[in-house]
Amino acid sequence: MALLDMSQVTMRFGGLTAVKDLNLELNSGEIIGLIGPNGAGKTTVFNMITGVYKPTIGTIRFNGKEISGMRPDMITQQGIARTFQNIRLFKELTVLENVLIANHLNIASNFMEAILKLPRYRREEAAMREKSLKLLDRVGLLEHQNDKASSLPYGLQRRLEIARALATEPKLLLLDEPAAGMNPKEAADLTVFIKEIREEFDLTILLIEHHMDVVMTICDRLYVLVYGTMIASGEPAEIQSNQQVIEAYLGVDEDAENQ
Amino acid sequence: MRRNTILTAIALLLLIGFLAFADNFFDLYLVRILNLCAIYAILGLSMNLINGFTGLFSLGHAGFMAVGAYVTALLTIPPDVKKQIFYMTPIMSPLDVMNLPFPLALLVGGLLTAFVAYLIGAPALKLKGDYLAIATLGFGEIIRVIFTNTQSITNGALGLKGIPNTTNLWWSFGTALFTLVVIASLIRSSYGRALMAIREDEVAAESMGIHLAKHKNLSFIIGAFFAGIGGGLLGNLLGTIDPKMFTFTLTFNILLIIVLGGMGSLSGSVISAFVVTIANEWLRFLDEQINLGFMVIQGKVGTRMVVFSVLLMVVVLFYRNGLMGNRELTWDQLCNSKIWRGLSARKRGTAIAEGGEK
Ligand SMILES: Nc1ncnc2c1ncn2[C@@H]1O[C@H](COP(=O)(O)OP(=O)(O)OP(=O)(O)O)[C@@H](O)[C@H]1O
Ligand SMILES: [Mg+2]
Repeated sequence: MALLDMSQVTMRFGGLTAVKDLNLELNSGEIIGLIGPNGAGKTTVFNMITGVYKPTIGTIRFNGKEISGMRPDMITQQGIARTFQNIRLFKELTVLENVLIANHLNIASNFMEAILKLPRYRREEAAMREKSLKLLDRVGLLEHQNDKASSLPYGLQRRLEIARALATEPKLLLLDEPAAGMNPKEAADLTVFIKEIREEFDLTILLIEHHMDVVMTICDRLYVLVYGTMIASGEPAEIQSNQQVIEAYLGVDEDAENQ
Repeated sequence: MRRNTILTAIALLLLIGFLAFADNFFDLYLVRILNLCAIYAILGLSMNLINGFTGLFSLGHAGFMAVGAYVTALLTIPPDVKKQIFYMTPIMSPLDVMNLPFPLALLVGGLLTAFVAYLIGAPALKLKGDYLAIATLGFGEIIRVIFTNTQSITNGALGLKGIPNTTNLWWSFGTALFTLVVIASLIRSSYGRALMAIREDEVAAESMGIHLAKHKNLSFIIGAFFAGIGGGLLGNLLGTIDPKMFTFTLTFNILLIIVLGGMGSLSGSVISAFVVTIANEWLRFLDEQINLGFMVIQGKVGTRMVVFSVLLMVVVLFYRNGLMGNRELTWDQLCNSKIWRGLSARKRGTAIAEGGEK
């Protein structure tokens, strides 16, 4: 059974059809790329999976359970986490706090226990801290733990956003253009990083990315979206040589600007 | 760590000493101002929780205070006094004999206010930004209209008189301290972080698994609870309340306090509550006749309000973070400040020796 299964999903905004009749399947452990020109509907797909939008038509199943229409926080609870195309950190809070917040969804103590600092809450808080510090250490942000999130350089902000998503302990991680704005060296580092966390955290990853070198090296399969319609899917090599894809996306010169 | 505990203990003792002194030797006017300072600190802290820490633009504080003030007053006015006050329309049946000790009445007032917040929070908190402000503003006005018209409960526009003056420095400062400790403890917990995450970015907070409605309600209800208690303290300080007391102006004053002190700073709210309350009294001369010696300016009632409004505009325009921004005044900060370091330079040798031990 597929981990994520979108079938016949359509998303309309008024008269605009952002995604049309999309079928998408992710199997456990895969890294799948979602590519396509600007405005193709890629982020909209993420927003539907994470519950920000409810699909106009169609169903989304995660682990066999229907999740379309669920509240975003409940979907996260099911094991889906994401990053955003335009970084959305909790800017005024510290790096550590950003990660700690992502642990809050599993808290068992109620607010009274938290205010009174009762033993169960203390234990949970200590465990959260330990886990978060370990995670920050793993992603190389430990020395920045007390810095304001907005004070980090851009590349580290991206990294923190991934760390924050990981802190929710997802099975499926959605990355929306994680290499955007990075130079080839940084993008290559990120590629390695994504591969590593997939192994370490036992993740399935859906990745939106315009950097073709990133996509081609780490993705097991690709879906190509153009004007809301999926025009092709398959292994990177197939996609690269697909005439339709080359015409609609890969071959277009202006796309180089996005890289 | 140990130093901070000691400093806190010393500060507490000093406060108790000061209150005991003030209680015995200050004139009634000064004591009243001090009481008001503490009550406004409670109100500022509670509004800051909702607006400053959770980022909800709520303007319902006067409404919350009204609920708390009326409940507390009705539960503390002696039954025979109630009969006299309600001479137009007799007071409703169980209320006429109900009587509770002051602290219990305050608690009931706070809890009922929290319940009201729970009822209006469910629909209102679905609204965002300005819309929430309008809805909560409307709530405040509706409470006023209701209280004006439910004569057998609130005595309508006549208001409640003869409320026992049970609020004293111990109650007001004790409650203010309690409010500060509870809200600070909440803010520093995982729940507090969740509230601040909502303030920073709702979409991101929700995608990190934070149940928005639940946490917004939590903040709203706890804020309302303390606003209700603040209202109760105020009513039993003044001795009379009526619906006209709880207009938007009251909410505005508290908003001024939290903006001036810094949205998202508890110590800022406390400091600002004292500054604004004292300034409010001190600037009273503006509303009266001013004699400059060579000429007499006829004061206009409401001039103070204008001054405060201008002040708020200046702060919002040029000094948006207020006094404290979202930082807090802590012992560590005080001890590391330049002034203090200069003063204690001589003692440094011993301090380092001690620091090495822990
Ligand atoms: N909330 C919304 N309301 C109306 N239209 C929307 C909304 N969200 C997205 N759209 C539209 O849907 C289309 C797809 O947008 P989407 O953001 O999914 O594209 P994308 O593939 O992520 O593009 P990019 O590469 O630029 O990020 C666009 O035309 C966009 O304007
Ligand atoms: Mg996008």
